[in-house]
Order: sequence, then structure tokens, then C-alpha cells
Amino acid sequence: MSLLQEEREIILSNEHVDNFDFAEVEEFVKNANKELFISHHFAQKKKMLVQPRGGFPTYKKQFALNEFFVNANVDVLPLTIDSNTRLNDYATAKKMLRLSEESEVDMLNGYPLVNHGYRTTRKMVTHFNKPVSLRHGTPDARLLIETAIASGIFEIEGGPITYLLPYSKNFPLDKAFLYWKYVEKVCANYSKLNLPINRESFGPLTATLVPPAITIVIQLLEMLLSLEEGVKSFSVSFSQTGSMNQDIVMGHVIRKMAKKYAESINCGDATINLVYHQWMGAFPTNKDFAEQLINMSTVIASMVGADKIITKTREEASGIPTKEANAKTVANTQYTLGILNGLPNIVDEEEEEILTLEVEAIMEAVFNDPADTLWRKVFNSIKNGTIDVPFSPHIINHNEMITIRDANKNIRIIKRGNVPIPDRCFEYEKSKCDLTKDTTSIVNDIIHDIGIMQ
Amino acid sequence: MSQNKLLIDIGSTNFKVATPTNIEQHFRDFNKDIHDDLMYKCGDTINSFDKDDVYICSSANGGLSTLIIGLTESYSLKYAKNIAFNSGINIIETILYQNIEDYSLPSDLIDVVIVVGGINSKGGIFGKPLYNYLENLKYSNIVYVGSELEAEELAKNIEHLVVLPNIIDNKLHIIEENLKEYLTNLYQADIEGKEDIKSLYDITTNQIYSTPYIVNKTLPLIDANFSVVDPFILIDIGGATTDIHYSKDLVDENIVTENEYDRLVFKKLGVYKSKESLIFAAQNNEFTYELLTHLKVTENIFEESSEKALKVLMQLALFLVLTKMSHYKQAYVNLKLLAINSIVLTGGITKVLNDDEVADIISFFYKKILNSDHNPTVVMDKNYKIWTLANKG
Repeated sequence: MSLLQEEREIILSNEHVDNFDFAEVEEFVKNANKELFISHHFAQKKKMLVQPRGGFPTYKKQFALNEFFVNANVDVLPLTIDSNTRLNDYATAKKMLRLSEESEVDMLNGYPLVNHGYRTTRKMVTHFNKPVSLRHGTPDARLLIETAIASGIFEIEGGPITYLLPYSKNFPLDKAFLYWKYVEKVCANYSKLNLPINRESFGPLTATLVPPAITIVIQLLEMLLSLEEGVKSFSVSFSQTGSMNQDIVMGHVIRKMAKKYAESINCGDATINLVYHQWMGAFPTNKDFAEQLINMSTVIASMVGADKIITKTREEASGIPTKEANAKTVANTQYTLGILNGLPNIVDEEEEEILTLEVEAIMEAVFNDPADTLWRKVFNSIKNGTIDVPFSPHIINHNEMITIRDANKNIRIIKRGNVPIPDRCFEYEKSKCDLTKDTTSIVNDIIHDIGIMQ
Repeated sequence: MSQNKLLIDIGSTNFKVATPTNIEQHFRDFNKDIHDDLMYKCGDTINSFDKDDVYICSSANGGLSTLIIGLTESYSLKYAKNIAFNSGINIIETILYQNIEDYSLPSDLIDVVIVVGGINSKGGIFGKPLYNYLENLKYSNIVYVGSELEAEELAKNIEHLVVLPNIIDNKLHIIEENLKEYLTNLYQADIEGKEDIKSLYDITTNQIYSTPYIVNKTLPLIDANFSVVDPFILIDIGGATTDIHYSKDLVDENIVTENEYDRLVFKKLGVYKSKESLIFAAQNNEFTYELLTHLKVTENIFEESSEKALKVLMQLALFLVLTKMSHYKQAYVNLKLLAINSIVLTGGITKVLNDDEVADIISFFYKKILNSDHNPTVVMDKNYKIWTLANKG
């Protein structure tokens, strides 16, 4: 038995897992309907895929949510996991699931997949026969991913950096890399049985003034870590930044660079998709404004040429969106996409050149780290501040980089910390901002810029 | 293990000698000097190796004792405790400076006192209450690793104070290297100061390290020889101490350090040299008598010195150390024991208990203390292979 298989057996012998049958799961994946694979839909691409967010604790409510989505013409169904499961606390998730079932009040903020088990969840997934995307935020997702794939969920979001730095304060980053390595291997192995299982990175990060260069570098690195384990379908992603121009430039650069770096490790045969997230920052409390913002995101996604868009709802500022609000946003986004034809191809060569130089410089610094494996190079780069995510709560993140918006709402770097932004680019970034102000005014600007769409 | 190395571990009750092909262990003869005992039992093996190829580690003296005085539980005390544990030091007391007047003085001689508190821009922290306390305390060494604004004043008032850089930086991150090096050197000096250990330099030209330091180094390599799935804990139950090394994703309050693993030592949970304190701890645990019933023995077993009694003591030590790591008993850290995939056991326990006996105690613990059927896999390092892994390459 291989070491990986031994490890899988120990992980799946968890008391909350109901008798995992490897052979049966393999047989299921082998014969699974192609409609369940998002990689199939990407390959057959006729239009941008629309995927909402959403997850309820009970099977009944999750089923009802999916029914609503299907009626609203959704392309990809979401399955958002509850936060107890995200922290591997299956015992509490179990208790809260029971209370939710008994009281009709939702005691969890998502679907506790491990507790429901793959046999139950598979019934729902195969009933709707649409691709399902697993949304979670778990540093140690080994058990969750095994359960998801066995359930028929063939798209897995997340990664060791993007699911850690925005969400966690203390979880060790080196462990996260190793646990995600397991996930990549499992996805790669299952991909050999039928169509590829798609892995998707989480580009929004903290969704707070993250400069495009940092987002792209992290997307590229998670992509490389995944491809080197044998994954054949990967989605890089980013979210609306607040500047239409910056989004379009980012879309061009990320596509170009993803292809280049995938080829550099002889993985040019893998399919790389682009995913765009509607606005991930603070939402306007005025629901009409929220709808305008969502609509603007959809237009930008079209201009970027995204393969998939992930939606938000008009209720975002006031609590957990209802299934009706979720369905409405899917229908509206589909409508907007349907009427967006013949968009102009916008190019900002100077911005593209600056961003490309920044990304290349950081990537080079990561590759030059003396460690013997890529994950260890990336780990060291985060630890020493070569990669620095603004506003990350994690103790390993340097938080030395400072960003601000310029007059055109572009996110600019005004303090680079240890991030190797080339001098020429740094001067360019700073030249776009008014830095003659006193420190208090700059701090106030940053606070204002965080909530730009309010 | 690489070719041509002889590895020796001197424990409080046993010593182990590992050649590239074989590991042997011997019960120590306490009427003899360690060197003489070792040469008597393994002289031929030792003589067949060059002195440059002999590597020795030791936990024979049980480590240094420390007392830490800090400003806050969540930063200065927590950081200093973490560094001390990972340097092989045993913490006997931690004191919150604000309440220093309420603490009683330990009667034992303290090997090293650590004073810590504040970030470097903070001054006016320590004063008379600290000097008064130290005046009455018996200690051999004292080190200051807090705010640099305090250093001069403290050095003026405390004799032989060693001042090192602050272990807390301005972003409240831990800076461990300086204190760790100081404590490790102190530990080395202590080991070397012991006549018994000093004489071992007759057979090696290499530095003698503490055993916990060596074991901690081996943890990232452990899966090369054992089917261990992260997150895991390693428990080393020996004659004098019980050490627990744990994967850091098992704690909520993690600190960024060079190591992926942390260590805790329970100085009074051994089954030979600290047998009395183990029994004392057991008698104060409300589950012990249920455990004894489960094992089909009575408390009279504590009076016996038989093979059966030794087994029971080992089982108690295992149960107590797991209990101390759980939310049932607040220790330095509480581990997320329900998230553990593997429990690795090394040390004397693997020679006394078989796999079933260990599994029985672990399942008893999970059921009684955590109300759970969780069942981590148990890996037994029966041949003391773990401590040899650090010398790989």
C-alpha cells in the first residue's frame, strides 16, 4: 500500500465518517455523469458560467436552495461549508446540525458535509446533475475533500495561502502547505478516472486593498503547487478591485502569466481558467445601489473575459442572503451577460508593463529562495515578507506593505516592505498618489479606501 | 541512519546504543559511574568506532529548572514558556509581575530565572517588588529578555544579570533565537558539569546534546520510518520525566517559531525516579479509580513493585499526560485531541506495554474525558528508532 493510501485510510477512519468505501467511490467517480464536472463545461464553453454562493445546515434546506438556483438558470451550484467543519470540529457541527434539524433555526452558517456524509450528499448532487463547487476556507481540508469528491463534487476551491492568510491567525502555514499537497494528490488521482477535477484558487484574499501584483503572484504559486502534483484543470481568480482599468489589466496579465509559468514546469497541457468574483468588500446598505454594484461587476467580468463569475446579492450588507435573493442575483447576472455583446477590447500598455514587471520580480525572488521544494520556497517567502498580504490577520504575514487608492481608484503600493517591487515600478506607483499629505490624512484616506463602494 | 555512526542516549534509567545495524538497551547500574557502566556493557561496540563518529545525547539529569517572571499571560509569559520548553528546560513556576507579592517563594534552588515584559518602546515596567522577590529567591542564573528601555535599570539593581534582546518585537511576534541559545548553552554546561556526563567525552569528540532537543529535531523526519499521519503527538514516557511533542496545528494559540513542533515536559510523571509524584498525581485525579477498576487492580498496586505494577504505572502516566493536555485540566496548552490522527509512543513505555494495552488506555481516555469514540492510530517506537533519526545524513 502506498504511503498516501495509508494516510488516506487513517484520515477516513475518523469517528465522524461513516464507513468510507474506497472501491465504491472510485467506481462512482469513474462512471459519474460528465455534467457533474465543471471541467467539462469549461471545455464546452458557450458562455461565462454563473455561480452563486450559498449553504444551509440541513439537507432539506440545501436541497430547496439548489432547486431555487436551478430554476434561476444557475450554471454551477455552490456548497458553502459551515465554520465548525472548516476548523475540523466535526463534533460541534454534528450537535448544531441536530439542533438545526429539530428547531428549524439554522445553527450553522453552511452545510456540514462531513457529518451529512457522502452517501446522503451524493443523492442531492446527482439529483440536480449540475457541477457543484465546494466553498470552504479550511487549512486542513483532507477529510472534507475526500468526502466532497465521494459525493460527486468535482470542483474544489481553496489553497494553502488563499485559505489561510485571510481567514486564520494561528494555523501553521507550513502545515497548510502539506495538507493541501495531499488534497492536490487526491484530486490528481481521481482526475485520471474520468474528466479532470478542477481546482480553484481563492483570489480575493482579504478583499481589502490587495494590490494586483500580490494577488497574481499568489494565484500563480497556488497554480504551480497544484499542477506539480498532477492536477490538470485549474482556475485562477481575482475579485473586483474598485478600478475598472486595473481589473482589465489584471485579467490580461494573469492569463498571460499563468500560461507562461505553467509551461515553465512542463504543465502546458493543463487547462487554466479565469474566475472573477463580484465585489468582495463592504457592500452598500442601500439595496438598489448594491444591485448597481453587482451589475457593474458583471460588465467588468465580460470585459476581462472570465470563464466563470461568482455572484453576490443585494442583501449582502444586511446579513445572510435568503435563497430568493440568491436566485434573483443569478437570474439578473444571466440577463446582463445575455445583453453584453461586442465589448471593446481595452488595453493599457503602461499599466500592463508595470504589473508584469512587478509580478516577475516577486516570482523570481520566490524561485531564488534556496529551499529544495517549491512549497518551502513559498513558505519562506511569506515568512520573510517577499510576499505580503495587506490586512491579513495571520501572525506569519509581515503586514509591512501599505496600499492606498489613487484618484482613479486604482490600488497603489506606497510602502513596499520586503516585497521586491522594482524601483521603477515603485516610483510609478507612488507618482500616482498624493503623498504630500500628513500621515493622519493618509491614514484617513486608507480607511476611506477600504470601504470605497459604500 | 547514516553509515559508521554510533549513537548513544543516556536516560535516567536506561541507556541505548545504536549502531547502523542494531539498537541495544541496558538498564543502568546505579552503583557505577555512567561511563564505566557503559564501557562494561558495550565496550567492544564503542571501541570499534572512531571518537568522531560517536554521538551522545542525554536526559539523565532531568534538565534545568526555571522560574519566569513576566508582564502578561498572553505575550511575555507565553513566549518565554514556549522558548524554555523547546530548549529542554523545565518550568517550575511562572509569575505575573503585577501580582508578584502574592506568590510564595519556591524552596528549591532555581537554575535560571527569566524576566520578560514589554515592547522596546515601553519603559517604567519593573521596580522594587521585583528586587524584593529576587532578594529572597535562591537561583544560579538570571536573564532579562524584555523591553530594552528597562535593561539598564535592571542591570544596576540585579547582580550578574544577563541582558539579551527582547523576545517580543514591536509587532508582538516572538524572537526566540537569543534566549534559546542562552538556555541551550546553559543546559549543555549543566550536562557537562555533571561528573558522570563529563567523563563521556572520553569516548566522543562531538558535543553532547539533551535528548528532548534531539527528539524534537527528528519529528519532521518521523514519517520516513513510521506510518504517522499529521497532526500527531509523540509521547516519551521514561523513568524520570514524560515528554510530549506535538504538532502545532493542535493548538489555537500558536506562535511562529522555526519548529513545526512544540514540546512540553512533565518532570514529575516518570515511573521510576519520579514514581512517588506520579502516584500523587494519580490519586488526585477523579478518574484514576475508575481506571484502576477497568484494569482490574486496586490501589494496593501502588505499594507493589512487580511487573504488573510497572505496567499500571505506565498506563497511569499515559492517561495523566493525555488528561493534562485536554480541556479537563488546564496546562500550558490544551491540545485539540479530537483532531489527532496518530499517537506515537517512545521511551520505556514501549518496552512495558503492548499495543493492545496502550490502545485500551487511549480509548478509555477518549471515552471518559472527551466523551468521544475517536480512535487515533497508535504507533509504537519499540526499538528506540526515533531518537536516531536526527542523525540521518
